[in-house]
Amino acid sequence: MLFRRILFESNITYFMSTFCIDYNVNIQEPYKKIMSMKRILHVEHSACTSQLCQIRDKVRDACHSLAYPESDINLITLVIDEACTNIIRYAYSGEPGRIVLEIFQHENEAIFHLQDFAKCIDKSCLKLRKKKLLEPGGLGLQLIYQVMDVVQLLPPKGSVGNILELKKHLPKGSQK
Amino acid sequence: MTFEQKNYLHYQLLALTGEVDLHNSPQVRKQLLAIVESGNSVIVDFSALSYIDSSGIATLVETYNLAKNKQLSLTIVGARGAPLQVMELTHLNKVFPMIDSLDEIKE
Repeated sequence: MLFRRILFESNITYFMSTFCIDYNVNIQEPYKKIMSMKRILHVEHSACTSQLCQIRDKVRDACHSLAYPESDINLITLVIDEACTNIIRYAYSGEPGRIVLEIFQHENEAIFHLQDFAKCIDKSCLKLRKKKLLEPGGLGLQLIYQVMDVVQLLPPKGSVGNILELKKHLPKGSQK
Repeated sequence: MTFEQKNYLHYQLLALTGEVDLHNSPQVRKQLLAIVESGNSVIVDFSALSYIDSSGIATLVETYNLAKNKQLSLTIVGARGAPLQVMELTHLNKVFPMIDSLDEIKE
């Protein structure tokens, strides 16, 4: 009973912190959606390059639990690492900060949320520009788009911060 | 990540071990550019490399371009697993000479 209550309260707290504060969108839909999602991972790290290795290890473990094949695990790990790298380099510009990574399982896909608390970035930052093969820059974003099925910025929770949402279909057999 | 540099025929061989990411790719960059700046062609050994991100790939591209300008070469040996997947995804496996083993290197 106590466990159920804690679980209920933690879900409500999560919902309140995620969707109620500053989202001027239909609350019911995200609420319904988030409540039906299974959270696989929730970690918070300081936004510095020395943390990348630990983040990758946690992503690999989570992807194993979602039954992705090794080749997909390699690519998903790469993509999350690239997204974290972009947060460190561009959102925080090397200044101290935090990165929150959450992974959810919802129906036939895994949903990755990467949150930072830096200045809100423009959605145009996620636009993929055409580049030549050996031209420097933009490779990380290109890899993110190549590997993931959905790449989008969610509305920030407050006056600062960004949430990058990435979605990837689950392998057949692991879908619930 | 660790690396070891040694002579191999008329090349400089840089063997990378572990994971190359934004945290340590500046060290690899410094080493690779120094090899080419000193007039040597380079072989990068991926045999013990388990991960490389876009900053590591960018380092290879920069080294490759510098080597090309100096009539030198950059060759990758022993790529497999995640690093090979990244090379394929970025199509750089079609740009860089990539070989399976050092036996394929000729004098």
